[in-house]
Amino acid sequence: MLYVMVLPGLLFYLVFKYVPLAGSAIAFQKYQIFKGMMGSEWVGLDNFKFIFTYRDFYHVLRNTATIALYHLVFGFPAPIVLALLLNELRIVLAKRVIQSLFYLPHFLSWVVVGGIVFELLSAQGMANMIRGWLGLEPILFMQEQAYFRTIVVLSGIWKEVGWGTIIYLAAIAGINPNLYEAAVMDGAGRWQQTMHITLPAMFPTILVLFLLNIGNFLELGFDQIYNLLTPMTYSVGDIIETYVYRSGVLQGQYSVTTAIGLFQSVIGFVLLWVFNRMARKTEQGLW
Amino acid sequence: MKQTAGEKIFQMINYLLLAAASATMLMPLVHLLAVSLSSPIAADSKLVFMLPVEFTTASWVHIFQNKGLWSSFGITVYITIIGTLLSMLFSVLTAYPLAHKEFLARKPIMLGIIVTMIFNAPLIPFFLTVRELGMMNSLWSLILPGLIGTFNMIIIRTFFMGLPSELYDSARIDGCNDAGVLFRIYLPLSKPVLATVSLFYAVGYWNTFQRAVLFIRNPQKWPLQVKLRAYLTSPEELASVNLALGDYDFNTTTLKAATILFATIPIVLVYPYLQKYFVKGSMLGSLKE
Repeated sequence: MLYVMVLPGLLFYLVFKYVPLAGSAIAFQKYQIFKGMMGSEWVGLDNFKFIFTYRDFYHVLRNTATIALYHLVFGFPAPIVLALLLNELRIVLAKRVIQSLFYLPHFLSWVVVGGIVFELLSAQGMANMIRGWLGLEPILFMQEQAYFRTIVVLSGIWKEVGWGTIIYLAAIAGINPNLYEAAVMDGAGRWQQTMHITLPAMFPTILVLFLLNIGNFLELGFDQIYNLLTPMTYSVGDIIETYVYRSGVLQGQYSVTTAIGLFQSVIGFVLLWVFNRMARKTEQGLW
Repeated sequence: MKQTAGEKIFQMINYLLLAAASATMLMPLVHLLAVSLSSPIAADSKLVFMLPVEFTTASWVHIFQNKGLWSSFGITVYITIIGTLLSMLFSVLTAYPLAHKEFLARKPIMLGIIVTMIFNAPLIPFFLTVRELGMMNSLWSLILPGLIGTFNMIIIRTFFMGLPSELYDSARIDGCNDAGVLFRIYLPLSKPVLATVSLFYAVGYWNTFQRAVLFIRNPQKWPLQVKLRAYLTSPEELASVNLALGDYDFNTTTLKAATILFATIPIVLVYPYLQKYFVKGSMLGSLKE
């Protein structure tokens, strides 16, 4: 009976997860759509050799890695800081209201958020309105390469920071209140309590989320970049996912772009493996 | 408890800071609402901040009459309802056996599922698989390839594992089979977690974008998000009248603002109900192993 129940789920994982995983083999082929995987010629590592000699690839890889690094440096700590600040609020109602407002953007799609960003930063948008009050010249933010990555990181934080606090707040809620009482007895102020109790107690959670983040380091999310990118900002904003979509799906370069995709997954796995080893030295890793 | 002066100052700054930050969550939406309700001239000359200037509902009237927007809206409602129901059915059916320690295949199957979380197949083989299955331009391509969200399924499984095993044992002794236990005992007890996960799925289907961009080439079948994106990038289509020819109370700026909000309204409307559940629910899956 249990086997019958689990069958539809297994079928799903088989068809939509494992078949595509096996299909990654076309990265080692000169895949031709009419011949299919069986009839296409095997070329070994040729596609990989090709991408490593290809200028576009380095370009896109550099963009991806740079934005990913910014996300990690600025985006990852943001919910931790927010959770700590929220934790200091004493008025329960204020805390609830503020949290609700922070969660809201998580539920909007990137098309909507992208639309909002474009509108706010357009020539007649809110940002330039405020610049006008200050007597500054308007800037076409979305068309300037210099601003693109900042916009990506800030809009990412805007959308997900509140959502990211949920797990941290849960971790804080799970801390034994006796610890705080004992600390107060010993004369610890709020700051010392935060540094010596709250943060260390959050650390395992932070570590797990960090490792999960590292595993997807190069996967920035197609929706966000696609909805913020314009041809003017390709040079700084085109990432692996948008590139694979354009030249793979739209232009049919299946084998080469699959090789790029595989490369991306392998990097993610290697990073995860390395950081997990490091994590196990101090605390618990993911495995 | 007594507060030091430094702590009082910190409290004040903290309230101000968080109030300001949470205002930035809302301000863009309020601003766009104000723009969408203003006259085109006011909107384009940077006069509209948080309140409409020269109030008019013309842009809203115009987009409410836009058939393309409504048909995409209909498609999105359709995939959201069908998709959420199917996703819940598949997730629950998968989670139930995997929650049972006596189920021998549990470990290998869980391992197989975890592997798919770590090794994501590249986009192209995924795309080719769905195409080989003949789902191009079919709404099924928006539902079936993402039927089970592994994280969501694990949330349900974790909840099932927390139910007392006596429930299961006594039901079995009374002659209930597994389907009976699941549908008559487990599911009624799991309402909060089922509500949470359904909402996660529903929001996911509502916001479906990448899959639609990949698989739906026929504009007639575009779900709301793709249609929205098309309108935002070429607002002339949104206007559907030659703005230069007539004297209209809307222009592309006010129309775009209204369209963005149009897609947001349903989310904002269900948000208060949604919020009740998601905080508890999303913690369930994350904390326990």
